[in-house]
Amino acid sequence: MSTAVKLDMMPSKDISDYAEKVLLNNPFENFKIENYKYAQLHKSITSNVSLDEFKADLSSISSVKNIKLSDTSDIDLLSDLNKWNFNNADSYFRVNSILERSSKKIDLDLFREEIVCLDLSLFKENIHLLKASDSPKTLMINNSNLSEDCARSIILNLSENAKLNIIHYNISNSKSFLYFEINQQNNSNIKFLSFQSNNIHTRNEFFASLEENCSLDLYGLNIHNYGVNDNYSFIQHMKPSSQSREVFKSIVKSGAITNFQGKIYVDSIAQKTDGYQMSRSLILDNESKANNKPELEIYADDVKCSHGSTVSKLNQDQVYYFKSRGIDEEQAIKILQKAFLVETLEAIENTQIKEYSYSLLDSRL
Amino acid sequence: MLKINNLHVSIEGKQIIKGLSLSINKGEVHALMGPNGSGKSTLSYVLSGKEGYEIEEGTIEYNGKNLLDLEVDERANAGLFLAFQYPMEIPGVQTSFFLKTAINSKRKFLGMPEIDALEFAKLIKSQAEDLGIGSEMLKRDLNVNYSGGEKKKQEILQMSILKPDMAILDETDSGLDIDALRIVSEGVNKLRSEQNSFLVITHYQRLLNYIKPDFVHIIADGRIVKSGDFSLALELEEKGYEDISKTA
Ligand SMILES: Nc1ncnc2c1ncn2[C@@H]1O[C@H](COP(=O)(O)OP(=O)(O)OP(=O)(O)O)[C@@H](O)[C@H]1O
Ligand SMILES: [Mg+2]
Repeated sequence: MSTAVKLDMMPSKDISDYAEKVLLNNPFENFKIENYKYAQLHKSITSNVSLDEFKADLSSISSVKNIKLSDTSDIDLLSDLNKWNFNNADSYFRVNSILERSSKKIDLDLFREEIVCLDLSLFKENIHLLKASDSPKTLMINNSNLSEDCARSIILNLSENAKLNIIHYNISNSKSFLYFEINQQNNSNIKFLSFQSNNIHTRNEFFASLEENCSLDLYGLNIHNYGVNDNYSFIQHMKPSSQSREVFKSIVKSGAITNFQGKIYVDSIAQKTDGYQMSRSLILDNESKANNKPELEIYADDVKCSHGSTVSKLNQDQVYYFKSRGIDEEQAIKILQKAFLVETLEAIENTQIKEYSYSLLDSRL
Repeated sequence: MLKINNLHVSIEGKQIIKGLSLSINKGEVHALMGPNGSGKSTLSYVLSGKEGYEIEEGTIEYNGKNLLDLEVDERANAGLFLAFQYPMEIPGVQTSFFLKTAINSKRKFLGMPEIDALEFAKLIKSQAEDLGIGSEMLKRDLNVNYSGGEKKKQEILQMSILKPDMAILDETDSGLDIDALRIVSEGVNKLRSEQNSFLVITHYQRLLNYIKPDFVHIIADGRIVKSGDFSLALELEEKGYEDISKTA
């Protein structure tokens, strides 16, 4: 039996001491920390659930460049383990992934294509992405059909004036645990959508640090998962005049649990910050559950920050309205689910990816 | 077409409709007037099949069938239409998409193929124009941030394209300006034929000047207390409900 490791102080505590204790055991056992409260990492969720026949077939999106092993080079993240610039935050996943996996670096500027695809099933490593230019416009992250026992880091450094759209297809995994870290230098822009469906046990962490005059749009679409699906975001504004906008929408049924926990942190010098965070859950039956926990931590005085969260059931008066016009209940419910989520898909810029995502959603309603 | 006999309805144990009988034949227009809270909307919800109403007694026959056996969408596809007093807002659903889905549901019920895009565009454009509904309106989410009058026009647009056999208009005139009232009335009159029937619920004679009803009924406390022709509406305007009910 191992002794419980207290992670409250991570990562400022002595990492190697921690590593010794934790890595000997199941990394998710004996695990307790506020930000992981709902994730149930220590539990085996996958045993009595089987996934639906629902696959993301990204091959229908044409002219995509798939990142190969030869496009990567080795990088040492371990030596930077103690250097982390997020304030009053914890990420057990970061530590776990860096200790458990080696890491690869990918320079996105080397690709001339509009869309590049990072297929996580082709790599075992953490991925460190660099981007300084305007192309490629879109990064697709194919995170499908995995069953993983430890976390993985995907770190993105965006240089000044760089732009990137990211679509993360988080589909049909029995276990998947990701730590995203986004570092945005001045005047950089990111639009990020995480499309999550048919997973059994997942947690996605989105850590982002914004310098001056940046924008970050982070969307989550979470529909019909099983087990426990957890999203955590920590957006910190470190310099003035940046904007972050988060919208997480989830629809749960069949006894699944969906969680969203997010914090906006505004540094004392980050005046004129504009931060927005909204998480909304739609629960289709009495067995399912949604937990939403928004938080703000603000040290500047001239900022605009708002957050909100709702958990609701399907509006029966709306269903009745559809039916009164001859539309049957099943179709009405499908349309209302789509209406609930549509805001997140509308954020996709690339028309091909948008159309594909719509069709993926349609086949899942 | 529609035959309501000795209807008793309660909501959460409270009796609202207390022995109401009403027959509407093909091609007839009936007006239903009555004080606030007398049960007019309740009757219209019961006819459309909304949940939560207990039918304690009585029968409703529609085209020879037991209406109460049918689901809400089955009633709609069988030609029954209710223009709501308070139309629901549906965020995230574009108005034109909703209209198309409604038309296609009806066509599916009739064994017809889905309407083609061009035909739909033409149909919707002409009907919307007649009602003074602009094309930008059709791109907006259904009823979301529509003004009161715009919502009512939207109900009539839905009626115009679904062409029901039996339309119930629940206070469609409330909240309409003078021009809109005329436009909406024209919409109703255009659909009016020997095949279609209407039950027009209203508080005002004004609407009935445009839509000349064949019969006027007065409802009070869940039952019809007086029936007559158009002149009853005029009398009502003069005397008010209290006096009329007394003479019943
Ligand atoms: N869900 C409900 N629960 C309890 N009482 C209800 C409910 N719905 C309606 N009522 C009551 O039933 C009565 C009839 O209401 P209804 O809406 O049918 O009146 P109405 O004739 O349409 O009035 P108005 O002219 O104001 O539209 C009212 O007293 C109302 O308060
Ligand atoms: Mg009413």
